[in-house]
Amino acid sequence: MLSVRDLVVRFSTGRGVVHAVNGVSLDVEPGGTLGLVGESGSGKSVTSLAIMRLLPRGGRVVSGQVWFGGRDLLRLSAAEMRSVRGREIAMILQDPQSSLNPVLPVGEQIEEAIRAHERVSRPAARARAVELLGAVGIARPEEQLGRFPHQLSGGMRQRVMIAIALALRPTLLIADEPTTALDVTVQAQVLELLRDLTDEVGAAVVLISHDLGIMARMAGRIAVMYAGRVVESAPTEELFARPRHPYTVGLLRSIPRIGGARRALVPIEGSPPDLERLPEGCPFAPRCAWRIEACWTQNPSLATDDGPAHLVACHDPAEPEEVGPGRPIRPGFAPAPPPGIRAGVA
Amino acid sequence: MSATLLSVEALRVHIPVTRGVVLRRTTGVVRAVDGVTLDVREGETLGLVGESGSGKTTLGRAIVGLVPPTAGSIRLRGVEVSTLSGRGARRARSELQMVFQDPFASLDPRWPIARSVEEPLRLHRAGDRRERRERVLELLELVGLSRRMADRYPHELSGGQRQRVGLARALALRPALVVADEAVSALDVSIQAQILNLLQRLQEELGLAYLFIAHDLAVVHQISDRIAVMYLGQIVELSPGVDLYREPMHPYTVSLLSANPVPDPSVEAARERIVLPGDPPSAAAPPPGCRFHTRCWLRERLGDPEICRTLEPLLREVGPGRSVACHFADEAAASPVTRRAVDLAGGRA
Ligand SMILES: Nc1ncnc2c1ncn2[C@@H]1O[C@H](COP(=O)(O)OP(=O)(O)OP(=O)(O)O)[C@@H](O)[C@H]1O
Ligand SMILES: Nc1ncnc2c1ncn2[C@@H]1O[C@H](COP(=O)(O)OP(=O)(O)OP(=O)(O)O)[C@@H](O)[C@H]1O
Ligand code: SF4
Ligand SMILES: [Mg+2]
Ligand SMILES: [Mg+2]
Repeated sequence: MLSVRDLVVRFSTGRGVVHAVNGVSLDVEPGGTLGLVGESGSGKSVTSLAIMRLLPRGGRVVSGQVWFGGRDLLRLSAAEMRSVRGREIAMILQDPQSSLNPVLPVGEQIEEAIRAHERVSRPAARARAVELLGAVGIARPEEQLGRFPHQLSGGMRQRVMIAIALALRPTLLIADEPTTALDVTVQAQVLELLRDLTDEVGAAVVLISHDLGIMARMAGRIAVMYAGRVVESAPTEELFARPRHPYTVGLLRSIPRIGGARRALVPIEGSPPDLERLPEGCPFAPRCAWRIEACWTQNPSLATDDGPAHLVACHDPAEPEEVGPGRPIRPGFAPAPPPGIRAGVA
Repeated sequence: MSATLLSVEALRVHIPVTRGVVLRRTTGVVRAVDGVTLDVREGETLGLVGESGSGKTTLGRAIVGLVPPTAGSIRLRGVEVSTLSGRGARRARSELQMVFQDPFASLDPRWPIARSVEEPLRLHRAGDRRERRERVLELLELVGLSRRMADRYPHELSGGQRQRVGLARALALRPALVVADEAVSALDVSIQAQILNLLQRLQEELGLAYLFIAHDLAVVHQISDRIAVMYLGQIVELSPGVDLYREPMHPYTVSLLSANPVPDPSVEAARERIVLPGDPPSAAAPPPGCRFHTRCWLRERLGDPEICRTLEPLLREVGPGRSVACHFADEAAASPVTRRAVDLAGGRA
């Protein structure tokens, strides 16, 4: 359904080049839900914006392909791409504030979205808008239609965004942190809604979230990103049970949990990579308790690990007995300063 | 027990709803915060969870002076702050800082982030330019941003990076209380863990208190001493964190626990979630009696007692440091629905 191949995206800024996405490959099955997790700044949003061809100014796709319905989206004309965006792929942006028009009542914004791709009368569009707002759990939708975005709570704005995305009845929905601002009961409701969409229409979903609980609930498969690359990808159960990449292990250790006594969280030591000056070797090496010599010089590629469904990009993946809670068991580890820098790595 | 830092009493924030951009007509009033009483002690973290639209942000904004209260009082170390003006207000405001839910809206897009972080220092004339610059870089490092980022603009940062900038700015004036509104929600879990540890360290070192608003119950559990649960402008339960999660006493708290995602696929596949029926009621016209009655799963199980629809349950003390606003709090605590929700809320150990 969607196949991203070796996507590379860079931003040119006044100060230099930001290597935001450095060879991402992803596959989404029809009706499947792919979860995208990863460090803040690892390129999840930029990857999805590149798929939609909505990169902000300064960003460009350097290479790669985005196959969708037999076409490479990156080669479509602007008009063709607009029609794909209107009818086939919808996206819920991470930031509802910037994607809603502040001076237009939300009702009109939803109606506009409906009428942009369906020939329906105004009253019919209005009725759909009411129905959609109800579906995303907004009380008395008729009353809310006339409200401006700033008059709604953060969670309500986010649901308006979701309503707009669903209005398109897309076959692929890219949802970037769609429930971050929602309380857990409304979140559950919205996630159900996404699931209905996949069940009824057979739509596929790319779900971006750093909430591993949501991933456990929703994703069939999870891809973990770090420094603009996918470093591990596996079916959900497998990823939670047998994480292989040291970054994934670190992620699972840093989740707070409700049950039992409160314990100190174990964050991943060290700082995130500088995407303007990527290291030569594995970008995680400075923070990695598992690293070996090769990690400083060679960037490992994503390859199958145990079984064909589990991919990992690591010279020396974690063994199950190394994965439990607590500190890594390799003795004498300390996070290192960034290694010798090689500018402009492809 | 440490002294009370902040005390909020019978606070109401009613917001007029207007229509039309040019000719504004008031068409009603949203009772965003409708009678909230709570204390925050020196050096304590009070967690605040609750339904979207229940008034958490508005409560936080009222505390830091960004929205005027309609009624009630807000006192900082005994001094009423909501009516202060001039220098007194400025001093009080430097002690009460807020980190916002929406990092995009809270940073000026035309300024490099160093400037945004420096702004409160400039407003309060703290140090000369070089000292301020040094302090800004220090603050950025404190929240896990490299010094090299100082001259970047907000649009050049990821969502999580921006959120850390907001945190750095709030810490600039060494406040006594930070209202953190979804401050870690946009962060990936590892940086979230770093920030939570950081918040805890700062608290120990500087004696900071937090009002910590978040949706993720596990995150709130991790950082809070006590937790307040809000529904439709009011606090429905307030307890030490451990008690709240082990023995919730309000049906709304139970439904939150049952819906909280657990990072364990086998639990998520097996688990039942309490679905709150019907629409969330309007904050402009809250239901009579118990505000939660239109969606309460317990009321139904108890055979629809009339009192839920007619008499408003007040927040009452039910144990040491524990309060709840439900006529049937004991029944709620003892219900098998509650037990199941509690058992799976933490995942399988
Ligand atoms: N317009 C831009 N100009 C320059 N750099 C940018 C721009 N937009 C994003 N970046 C950079 O690209 C990288 C990837 O950003 P992206 O928004 O995709 O991260 P993310 O994985 O979505 O993070 P988060 O979880 O915080 O949302 C970051 O380092 C960010 O600073
Ligand atoms: N400027 C405003 N005009 C009209 N109504 C408002 C305004 N600001 C807030 N409200 C309303 O006040 C209520 C409380 O909003 P608030 O933002 O405090 O909720 P919240 O608990 O923070 O929700 P969320 O979890 O979604 O952020 C909501 O019903 C909201 O629509
Ligand atoms: S007072 Fe009645 S309606 Fe309200 S929460 Fe308790 S049982 Fe439910
Ligand atoms: Mg993002
Ligand atoms: Mg809010």
